[in-house]
Amino acid sequence: MKKYSILNSRVPRVDAVDKVTGKALYTDDIKMPGILIGAILHSPLAHARILNIDTSLAERLPGVKAVVTHREAGTTPYGVSPARYDETIFCHDKVRYVGDEIAAVAAIDLDTALEAVSLIKVDFEELPVVLDGRRAMEEGRPLLHDIYKNNICAEVHWHFGDIEQGKKESYIVRTDHLTSKMQDAAFLEPQSVIAEVDSHGNLTMWSSTQAPHYIQRTLAMALNIPLHKVRVIKPAVGGGFGPKASCSTAELATCLLAIKTGKPVKLTFDREQVFLHSRARHQFFHTMTTGVKKDGTLAFLDHQCILDGGAYASFGIATIYYAGSLLGGPYRLKNMKYDGYRVVTNKPACGAQRGHGAVIARALFEVQLDRIAEELGTDPIELRLKNVMEAGETTCNELFVSSFGMREALEAVRDSAAWKKKRSLSGKTRGQGRGIGAACGFFVSGAGYPIYRSRTYHCTVVTKVDDVGGGVTVSSGAADIGQGSDTVLAMITAEELGLPLDDVKVISGDSNLSVDLGAYSSRTTLMTGAACRDAARDVKRQILEAIAGVLCVPPETLDLKDGKVESLSGELDFSKIREEYLREHKGFIDLPNELCLTFREASRIAFLERGSIVGVGMYRPPPLGGSFKGATVGTSPAFGCSAQVAEVSVDLGTGEITVENITGAHDCGFAINRTQVEGQMQGSMMMGMGEALMEQIIYDKKGRIVNANLAEYKIPTAMDMPHLEAIIVESNEPHGPYGAKEVGEGAIMPVIPSILNAVYDATGVRIEELPLTPERLVAAMEEAKKKPSLQENP
Amino acid sequence: MPRFDVLVPESLEEALEMLGEHADKGVRILAGGTDLLVDLRRPIIPVHVPRCDGCAKHPGGMVYSTIDCELWLSEPTAHAGGSLRNALQDSRRISPQYLISLHLLRELKGIKRLDNGSLYIGATTTIREIAHSEKVRRCWTALAEGADNLGSPLVRNRGTLGGNIANARPAADMFVPTIGLNGILKLQSLGGERLLPARDFASGPGLTVIEPLEILTAVIYPAPLSYSGSSYYKLANRKALEISTVGVSVSLTLEAPDGPITDVRVALGAVGPTPILAESAKGILLGETPDEPLFKKAAQAIRKDARPIDDHRGSAWYRSNMVQLLSERLLKIAYIRAKRNK
Amino acid sequence: MKKLISLNVNGIAHELAVEPRRTLLELLREDLGLTGTKKGCGIGDCGACTVLVDGVATFSCLTLAIQVNGCSVETVEGLTKDGKLSRLQQAFVDHGAIQCGYCTPGMLMTTTELLRRNQHPKEQEIRKAISGNLCRCTGYQKIVEAIQEVARSENEEI
Repeated sequence: MKKYSILNSRVPRVDAVDKVTGKALYTDDIKMPGILIGAILHSPLAHARILNIDTSLAERLPGVKAVVTHREAGTTPYGVSPARYDETIFCHDKVRYVGDEIAAVAAIDLDTALEAVSLIKVDFEELPVVLDGRRAMEEGRPLLHDIYKNNICAEVHWHFGDIEQGKKESYIVRTDHLTSKMQDAAFLEPQSVIAEVDSHGNLTMWSSTQAPHYIQRTLAMALNIPLHKVRVIKPAVGGGFGPKASCSTAELATCLLAIKTGKPVKLTFDREQVFLHSRARHQFFHTMTTGVKKDGTLAFLDHQCILDGGAYASFGIATIYYAGSLLGGPYRLKNMKYDGYRVVTNKPACGAQRGHGAVIARALFEVQLDRIAEELGTDPIELRLKNVMEAGETTCNELFVSSFGMREALEAVRDSAAWKKKRSLSGKTRGQGRGIGAACGFFVSGAGYPIYRSRTYHCTVVTKVDDVGGGVTVSSGAADIGQGSDTVLAMITAEELGLPLDDVKVISGDSNLSVDLGAYSSRTTLMTGAACRDAARDVKRQILEAIAGVLCVPPETLDLKDGKVESLSGELDFSKIREEYLREHKGFIDLPNELCLTFREASRIAFLERGSIVGVGMYRPPPLGGSFKGATVGTSPAFGCSAQVAEVSVDLGTGEITVENITGAHDCGFAINRTQVEGQMQGSMMMGMGEALMEQIIYDKKGRIVNANLAEYKIPTAMDMPHLEAIIVESNEPHGPYGAKEVGEGAIMPVIPSILNAVYDATGVRIEELPLTPERLVAAMEEAKKKPSLQENP
Repeated sequence: MPRFDVLVPESLEEALEMLGEHADKGVRILAGGTDLLVDLRRPIIPVHVPRCDGCAKHPGGMVYSTIDCELWLSEPTAHAGGSLRNALQDSRRISPQYLISLHLLRELKGIKRLDNGSLYIGATTTIREIAHSEKVRRCWTALAEGADNLGSPLVRNRGTLGGNIANARPAADMFVPTIGLNGILKLQSLGGERLLPARDFASGPGLTVIEPLEILTAVIYPAPLSYSGSSYYKLANRKALEISTVGVSVSLTLEAPDGPITDVRVALGAVGPTPILAESAKGILLGETPDEPLFKKAAQAIRKDARPIDDHRGSAWYRSNMVQLLSERLLKIAYIRAKRNK
Repeated sequence: MKKLISLNVNGIAHELAVEPRRTLLELLREDLGLTGTKKGCGIGDCGACTVLVDGVATFSCLTLAIQVNGCSVETVEGLTKDGKLSRLQQAFVDHGAIQCGYCTPGMLMTTTELLRRNQHPKEQEIRKAISGNLCRCTGYQKIVEAIQEVARSENEEI
């Protein structure tokens, strides 16, 4: 691999100092004179017809500047997938979950706004509710939307290869189930929005969002404003993990209130509202039947899935496709059938969350592989190694893997965690409270297609050299939500131009700067990174051409390195340039006196020669995937893969589980920033561990969330987390900049199943319902004691 | 946060006077604020009145806390004559006009050993001080273990012993070992003070027998006799920031290192409307020489003292099982400790 | 009715008239413009709003301003001395202990108190000390490593 001066290093993130000093501005930190505060009226009922809304008392409350309902907002349907626009800004005919938005208020302060909200009177006619996703499709169930027959908002039926043939070839066939619970992404920063309209009718919205471009489109469409009159700015964002990729009523309502009042309006969610708005992980009900040949070769997979998605479609169409398509890898699997149903229920809408759609499917499949390995009497890692794909192969559902470090990753965790030694012991100690388990994962590195049907570029980057010379400014619509994409763009630019990181300014997350589809599907490093590299190269070419012209040398003999212009063909006589630069800067103290031509001089002279030097880079994936229905979801220019070994200890009396160690390896193609790659892996381990052991949204019989807070929606604390070992595998992805591909989401894939497999090793029991709480584990162990014959033989 | 005034008395007497003066306008005592200020917040989701029997009494069709409604719905008959409802409505859950903050009252802070060897802890002593106190850890170990596992370090920094007890949550991590250690509550009013065993204090979830004009000022823990040991275990899903699924406190006194048992108290948390003192333990253990079968038998009896319900934190089945399992384990731990504590 | 309180924030004395129900968090963010202190939950579950009150890590969302009358308050803005990052801040930067950064100010304040009290905490002591400060990005690994670096040093400054 090439030697780089800054790429592949561990430089601190560009926003690190601002974040440790409290200077970084998040949306709620932004102040504006005369700003009004917004508040939302949420439905107290899970399913009801709205008979009447009376806002008159609220409007009369002193200090209230605007009250808006569907009457002001209109009922233009919007959503995420154009084929399933099923939301309106405010409810107009029905409310469909506890928390559904009915009205919003702007007032001089929060107290007044909340009081006004409490004065809005709504008459409801209660309707029967649908809360159980498994039963939502049954005939005669109450329907949430007229457009969704039997409450099915999407279904997928795929058959690749021939599973009947696969069955014939199988030596072992087994069927297993896994159910999960709705999740919350539990980012630390609650959503916050500020909106303002200027005297030309331009709407600007600052929002804690992951996807300024999509939000810009949704605002323009739902509020009926020309796209070019809408600007979305993403200040510092305190985590997103998926839910902040879809447009929220908070965003739409705040814009509407700003339009109505002519004043800036701010609306910040309370933590409870984060849970109500949700758009986080669906509830999954998976059933898989998998067959393997006698030698351990995978023969087929027959997979059924029901997704409980709450009241609206949101990202759910993509979710139901992802849940099936991403089982195409990382193993060679010729025959795969998938039947998926995404249903609606009277609960907050689910959407995308880290590892979109694929996490629970992956968990069950990896548990199955473990059980199959046990039946075959094979080591589970060896079984996996036997089946892993290699670079250059295509899955049965037509996903091409151009680079693939799956084998390396699996071997790395096996060796680093001393798997062979520990596992050889576990054969004898199964069920005695200590366990070790392994699993793999597979994920896209950027969705192959945008959410709306278009041949749009997925991103553009504009890099402009400072006219005064010396530095560059990179402009991008990319959304740094904490994952560190600004740092990646700065590092790439610095590498290409041979500049110190401090001389590269990155401005990003603003829809005015460029189109960028945003921070989702683990796309930014590969896509925006590629565009950024091309923009920097464009700039470099222009500077070198200008300098070459002045110095009368061929441009290809020049290069930019270490803040200087390097000549590949002997010494340069740049005295004319130096002379002009010094003349321009008479009186300045910090002047170039090096024996070589500095970037500062070169970039200034290039401006004098050519005017502003602007480089542009763009990225759009080539056409990808098959021609079957839904073939676009799951396609990607590249695929990441990961492996993990988890070690647990279990109190066999109380069922308390302690994760003692996690060793993960992820193939990110090439690590632009090694610290950040590890950080994404470690964060994934934590989120996966929470989902495996403790995280669940709990509803009461009326569809109200019982635990809409961070005390009872339990994410792991520092005491729950073990030491996390992150091993970087680099497979040099041909379609990624410098060989780079994703890490942000793929790294979560093996977490849940490796823990489930380790707990099995520790206890001898399998669990079919997540999270794996102490109580569920104790119940399973009790059950196993009663009927030992049904248990697997250790 | 709803509108209220905060009164900051500089002496206990002043606090009691303020309490008397404002008793009819809704007044709450503010200690660490870790529970009270959470309970007082305006809910995001209004409760739809027609669906909620009992809430209709509230003006304006809104209730101030969904917790109220949960309680009313889940336990309408828990207290005959609707006293639970009345109690909630009359004094505890309606947004108060006044908070009396005790933070300036030095006399309510601190841990000291009394002449008779008992431990005196002021009501506004923080959980953190208790967790860090060597005195407490040595002789009243269960209390230290409760303190060490309550909430998170940040909750422990603000939360107080008195607040944890006066809030009377069935799962309260200080209240349960306080009952287990036979703590005596000192309740002060202008008329004087009264001493009340902690086990008699709670009357329901969030409800106590404290009189409207009384303030809980201290808890007194009797001096442990020779060969005494105690232990508390908080069972929960994660290792910090938790509300107990089950809490068990055991304290045990032996006549000599090898027994027999001369005193035992087992207190249970989160398995009833209030923390429970498991009476059956005594009948089985007193006068007996400790050994494993005895502890097993006692644990089976203690299990029957628990009255758990199914809720989102755990099922009654699991809680009962855990009461038995943890009681047995903690009896053993307390026994080992007792043997060593001459 | 507003009440007059005085408090010292990051070494600067302030006198302010506050509503009795005003929280310390609101006072810092809205009245003093110290927006480095974050609100993550408002009910003491996440630790993002942690500041030091008379040296003790305190969630400012559940502390009324009136309760800190006469106290000394330190926020993340006060950690930097003479424009130089504290050693702890620098360690967070160097180790990549920051991703979204929203938990960072609270995490730094809690840890500052820990290190003042215990110069060389062990890993388990570190994990316990920050167990009331939730972080959703890092898995805590790099945060713990950053704190360990400072804890290893004999330099008493934090």
